[in-house]
Amino acid sequence: MKDKPGQITPLQLRERDDIVLRIEHLFVNFRVGKQTVQAVSDLSLDVARGETLGLVGESGCGKSTVGRAIMQLPPPTSGKVLFKGQDLCLLSGESLRQTRTALQMIFQDPISSLNPRRKVRDIVAEGLQIWGRPGQQARVREVMEAVGLDPDAVADRRPHQFSGGQCQRICIARSLALDPDVLICDEPVSALDVSVQAQILNLLEDMKQRYQLTMVFVAHNLAVVRNVSDRVAVMYLGKLCEIGDTESVYTRPAHPYTRALLASIPDMNPLSRHQKDGLPLLQGDLPSPANPPSGCRFRTRCPNAQPLCAEREPLMQTVRQTEHNELQSKATDVVSDHFVACHFPLNG
Amino acid sequence: MTPAEHKEQPLLLDVRNLTIRLNSAVGLVHAVEDVSFVLREGQTLGIVGESGSGKSVMARSLMNLLPRRSVTQRQGSVVLSGRKISALSERDLQKLRGAQVAMIFQDPMTALNPVLTICVQVSEPLQQHLGLSKSAARQRAIELLDAVGIPDAASRVDQYPHQLSGGMRQRVVIAIALACDPALLIADEPTTALDVTVQKQILDLLSRLQTQRRMGMLLITHDLGVVASRADIIAVMYAGRLVELAPAATLFSAMRHPYTEALFNSIPRITDPSHTRLQAIPGRPPQLHNPAPGCAFAPRCQYAQQRCHRETPPVVLSEPSVSSVVPVGHTEHVHACFFPVTRPVAGGAN
Amino acid sequence: MPAKKHPKIESRAQKFARALQQVFGRGFGPGFWLAVFWLVIVAFCAIFADWLPLRDPLDPVIANRLNGPLSGSLLGADGLGRDIFSRLVHGARVSVVIGLTAVSIGMIVGGASGIIAGYFRGHFERALMAVLDVILAFPWLVLLLALVAFIGQSLFAISVAIGFLWIPAYARVARANTLSVVQREYVLAAKAMGASTSRILLREVLPNVIFPLLAYGLVAMGLVIIVESALAFLGLSVEAPQPTWGGMISEGKRHLATAVHVALIPSITMFVTVLSLNFVGDRVRSRFDVKESNL
Repeated sequence: MKDKPGQITPLQLRERDDIVLRIEHLFVNFRVGKQTVQAVSDLSLDVARGETLGLVGESGCGKSTVGRAIMQLPPPTSGKVLFKGQDLCLLSGESLRQTRTALQMIFQDPISSLNPRRKVRDIVAEGLQIWGRPGQQARVREVMEAVGLDPDAVADRRPHQFSGGQCQRICIARSLALDPDVLICDEPVSALDVSVQAQILNLLEDMKQRYQLTMVFVAHNLAVVRNVSDRVAVMYLGKLCEIGDTESVYTRPAHPYTRALLASIPDMNPLSRHQKDGLPLLQGDLPSPANPPSGCRFRTRCPNAQPLCAEREPLMQTVRQTEHNELQSKATDVVSDHFVACHFPLNG
Repeated sequence: MTPAEHKEQPLLLDVRNLTIRLNSAVGLVHAVEDVSFVLREGQTLGIVGESGSGKSVMARSLMNLLPRRSVTQRQGSVVLSGRKISALSERDLQKLRGAQVAMIFQDPMTALNPVLTICVQVSEPLQQHLGLSKSAARQRAIELLDAVGIPDAASRVDQYPHQLSGGMRQRVVIAIALACDPALLIADEPTTALDVTVQKQILDLLSRLQTQRRMGMLLITHDLGVVASRADIIAVMYAGRLVELAPAATLFSAMRHPYTEALFNSIPRITDPSHTRLQAIPGRPPQLHNPAPGCAFAPRCQYAQQRCHRETPPVVLSEPSVSSVVPVGHTEHVHACFFPVTRPVAGGAN
Repeated sequence: MPAKKHPKIESRAQKFARALQQVFGRGFGPGFWLAVFWLVIVAFCAIFADWLPLRDPLDPVIANRLNGPLSGSLLGADGLGRDIFSRLVHGARVSVVIGLTAVSIGMIVGGASGIIAGYFRGHFERALMAVLDVILAFPWLVLLLALVAFIGQSLFAISVAIGFLWIPAYARVARANTLSVVQREYVLAAKAMGASTSRILLREVLPNVIFPLLAYGLVAMGLVIIVESALAFLGLSVEAPQPTWGGMISEGKRHLATAVHVALIPSITMFVTVLSLNFVGDRVRSRFDVKESNL
């Protein structure tokens, strides 16, 4: 039995004053031919000021769709996207365009994110020109220097003359020109060389500090997400499986899928190869998003699946962290920022 | 197999001084420069490099799969099981491809012909190289699909590629590659386009099949993590040159080339806490046309000296030895640097 | 041992060639420049025909009837004794004017509707595609006949009629290119930046769609010239005695047995012109495609 959306406040939404972005019961459906695909199903999460939320999952999980739905590009099928208390889904036209400038986005392919026929200077100044902000020249110079580009050398050239890493810097400069509050990064380093990835990740950290940004970082590389995020959300087939403090989720994963993901990462220890693999943590194939499994969507691949998992969709629950109190020699539950949607969470 | 046992195995692939220059719109591209390495039976050689390192060009040129018009120069020799294949005619090479040497590529979506069934595609090498009849080939195809872990192979065999997922397709690609029991498998970024959970499954499959069939495998990737746990020997390429080659354990515990060290340090680790500052490599990947004199990594190297910008460092043995000549058919640790890193890597392999 | 490289001393000519190469890129072979040269000649004839020292193209000199080339005048005379060479030069004007006008009409009307259809999709796109399908399904000659009957047979009228015929082709090209541009992330980025629809269309979509359209325009011009000649064959093109290449071929068909040059010369001229247009159009298109991606 699924709870009606909108009636219960999901547990993972925090009651804090500094929540900048809050998503409630987000649904995004796509029509593919005759079928309707639920790319995102009943997603709720929030991001506090100055935080980086990592959104992780494999292909088809809907993480990129979430990023775009926040920007209303295109608007989601239903749900609320509250930015500083204002529901973006209720806005349209001019007011949406205006409010949206406070949220900017960086995409995966840096080269196709830039118009090949325009000069870099015009690309970076685009936002300022649209909104008629003053001091365009100075601002363009400032952001270009901030991202590590030499304005005099770069401004008059066109994107195809630059490498992937430099193009991504241009994209970042363009996003920063309008002084946004929130930066949504959709796989910003996946298309870059390994040696350049570190540069861009460091740059994003620096920009976040310098411009006081709040970030949503969407990626499939778990190590990269761990490096940049304060909190992490794990998605599978449109659903939120687990969300919480990065340290907690990575060291004590509560959802079987999270555990399987972490175990799949190639280990950089050459000595580990001779160890036998334990029980398979994941079996079978990804089900079709148009026809997801009933109840818990992960059950068809979960080694712990029980009949209950097919009947009911699991709701978010707190992951109990027990700490042994030495003096009183009993276990006490510690309030933790770690939630999981599973009927039989690990260690629990 | 232990490293000592490895040395006993017969030589499968012997590449010496391979140099490839290509035509392009911007000029002559030095895609591969003076690369030498060997591979023994049953071994896995991992070739690691980024874009522009020349690893894919080199892999394709081993079987002469590069477009003929674009290759301007090709020097060096490639010897497979004692036979010099770099000098073979196209017709003789065709007999080798698929039979002795098989190759799998990165994108499983485009590696399979969308209008032919799986059965037809898997049977093709069987019929062509082994001369099996259609029904015998079909039977063998089902066995192969089973061996690569495709469930319900008997009914899947008549499906079309678009009816399978990415991981399944890559398994079919592997089945086709292994159909004629090749001695050497060249895998060019076989898991890059796949999800990380599927990646592990495919890599496990490849390792298992390799052990079963005592195949030699050339595993080409940009991911150090993938080769760390799967390769016996690792070769690192940069700007078309081989900059370091070593047994896997040695490479991670005692790396010598600054690029290897820089690469190793710049990758975010799953075990590091969040907001760890990454040690990025400054600059950008090299351009391969009109290469500047000297070491290609020098502009980005923190240890670079004057000499590095003038002379190209040759490949030398990493451990001090009596002769400075690098013996042929070796699996010793070598590097190409005038000022190699000597201290152990901070943190080592963890 | 790697061979020592000697620094080459470049001659001034080599330096100039290399500079040209850097501006125009490699790949423009001698064939391309020959084609451009020919087109420049045709354009020159079209513009300056009246001022060139040629015989009167409309002046029939019966005595010269069906003279072969190089006997008296450069290319001989036609059935009425008119000078073929000067008729050819004057005829270029018709071809160029009809070519440019028809292609412009097609590009502006077809291109605009294609871009709008490709960007907005939905009902407009469906309606437009339906209309285009109808126009394309009509046998084009019948359509032209109808249009010509309506508008008349002046130079302008013929241009408009043929231009109308080209709208579907342009709309298709424009729509296809717009669809692929709209999917690129820079359009999404512009939307995220708050750009209005008209700004996106003008600044992001149009500059990227216009080049394939222009390149197609060159190829289309060749086709327009051929269509005009077909009309001339039916006597539906610009009225006599204004010389057109198609008209000259039509008049020459009577003399195929005796004086083949009357039909052959304008045919060859048209052939070379259309070939040059195709060639240049194709090269220009591939040149601008390459610029989009990094090597």
